Amino acid sequence: MQPAEERPAFLRQRVNMETNDSRRSFLKILPLGVVAGVFASIGGAAFRFLRPRLAAASDRWLDVANVSELSGPQPITRKVVAQHIAGWAVTTEEHNVFVLPANGNQVLSAVCPHEGCEVAWQQNTNRFACPCHESYFAADGSRISGPARRALDTLPARVQDGKLQVQYTSQA
Amino acid sequence: MSILSILKSCQKCSQATGAIVGILLLVQLLTGLLLAFYYVPSVDHAYTTVSYIEKVVSSGSWLRSLHHYGSQWLTLFIFLHLVQLFLNQAYIFCKSQWIVSVVILALVMAAGGTGYSLPWDARAFFSTRVAEGLMAGLPLAGRNARLWLLGGSEISTLTLSRFFAMHVLVIPAFLITVAMWLLFRSRRLAAFFNSRNGVAAGLVFVALAIWCWKHPAPLGPSVAEMPAEYLPRPGAQFLWLYQSLKYIPGGLGSLAGVVLPGIALVLLVALPWLKAQRVIGAAILAACVGLVSVMTTAAYLSDRRDPRTWTQLSKQAAAEEAARREPFKPASIIVAAAAPAAAADALNAPTMYRKWCVQCHGASGEGGRQGPFRFPPLRNLSAKPRRTADDIVALLKDPRAYDLQPPMTSFSGKMTEDHMRQIAEWLLQLK
Repeated sequence: MQPAEERPAFLRQRVNMETNDSRRSFLKILPLGVVAGVFASIGGAAFRFLRPRLAAASDRWLDVANVSELSGPQPITRKVVAQHIAGWAVTTEEHNVFVLPANGNQVLSAVCPHEGCEVAWQQNTNRFACPCHESYFAADGSRISGPARRALDTLPARVQDGKLQVQYTSQA
Repeated sequence: MSILSILKSCQKCSQATGAIVGILLLVQLLTGLLLAFYYVPSVDHAYTTVSYIEKVVSSGSWLRSLHHYGSQWLTLFIFLHLVQLFLNQAYIFCKSQWIVSVVILALVMAAGGTGYSLPWDARAFFSTRVAEGLMAGLPLAGRNARLWLLGGSEISTLTLSRFFAMHVLVIPAFLITVAMWLLFRSRRLAAFFNSRNGVAAGLVFVALAIWCWKHPAPLGPSVAEMPAEYLPRPGAQFLWLYQSLKYIPGGLGSLAGVVLPGIALVLLVALPWLKAQRVIGAAILAACVGLVSVMTTAAYLSDRRDPRTWTQLSKQAAAEEAARREPFKPASIIVAAAAPAAAADALNAPTMYRKWCVQCHGASGEGGRQGPFRFPPLRNLSAKPRRTADDIVALLKDPRAYDLQPPMTSFSGKMTEDHMRQIAEWLLQLK
């Protein structure tokens, strides 16, 4: 190995650095530290930025109808309008529900408990029928036959100022 | 020329500007990646998602500001890097680094241009209009260039999708490829990030971070709420182009705004193989510096001097500031319930309808589409001409007689006339 003095300048500099271990390791770490700093500051913000936002549980009471309008032996089909806030969008969803005046204004969700199609009231056969897989439910919502394994879901309901109200949850 | 002097020159080429450009590119990639978690490239949601990032998401305003101002700083430093490389004659000694740096400048400008459209605020809309005008004015290819840029005959949500795809997929892919190629193939990563350059890059990042903490990125009124007297201004890195276009009419503007910069970039890339490279390079870089500084100053001055413009711009700035403090307005998505009648209709459909017709026309006659075929809805038929019960039976036997095209076929061999009449009567009572 030739003496350091006889090497070209840019190689000599390297030899000098090799002789000074702590300085060399510091200088090597410094640029890495800068990159790590960029990652850390943006990464810290990214953690806050990406943190999932939990939707507040929907406990709003939705108007179904005036109690005075509800009478008779037949289930009555009504629409309720529910609002979901998810991130930057407010989703307004209309849902069909059935009010059973014969059953103390019990409110049934129209969502079939099998695969989630909307059931319809068939007046001539006096039952609810699901158009998708032909599940049938009696006028009080109990299951008659078909692939569905339970009765139509009952929604929490109350009467406030003469109005029937429900809380709508898509999966009761 | 000895190997020694080439090595020395290459060390010179790896100056602080290179490291700064590297850090700023990294910042753009990281912040852009994060913004993509919330952004939606569609004209009815883009603005909402951007203002959601600004107003609701934690750190969103800072990250977007880093991305916005970072792109302007990046353009500045990549240009300084180019000047520095030129002064060190990198086009002779480090050809690959020279070419890659020119290409990165072009890509960064393209990313800035496409990115400006993405928030779909008033500024974005007008910057898209300027790009449209520049393309339309090109000689020979102008008409097609405009159509291809817009994705259709007018600025629409398709245009936004195109700009988005260019901005977040195509341009970054090229950028990462050329930057990685330069860093790893020529093993210059260590040279770029020696301690001195690292400190310089770190200082620039800290300065940018503080600037962005103090100054949120601008967000104008949405296109829908834009006042008629709105005066758009481009980002700082395009002010020179905006001001130049004021002086040059119509098609000539396209020459000055697209063709000339294009030729300049090609010449710079080809510089290592040109004769009189020193003169050509110096002329192009000097022209850039001159044009950009003169035009940028002129743009500021002309806004400042005209009292009406200045009042309007101040009004817009105040309105923007006020809009920033307003609570976030979410987008509204409405999902209607299926009409309960339709579900009941489906239950009453005749067996033969369920067997033969449902596939195309839907369980309750609502119509549908499969691939290229559209199947007409069969509701409310009683309001249409030539659709009595007799007509429908005749139509089911011979659809051609009623000008219907395949895939509608005759059902004569598949069901009896009674079945057809059942279907017809059921169809006619659908509303």
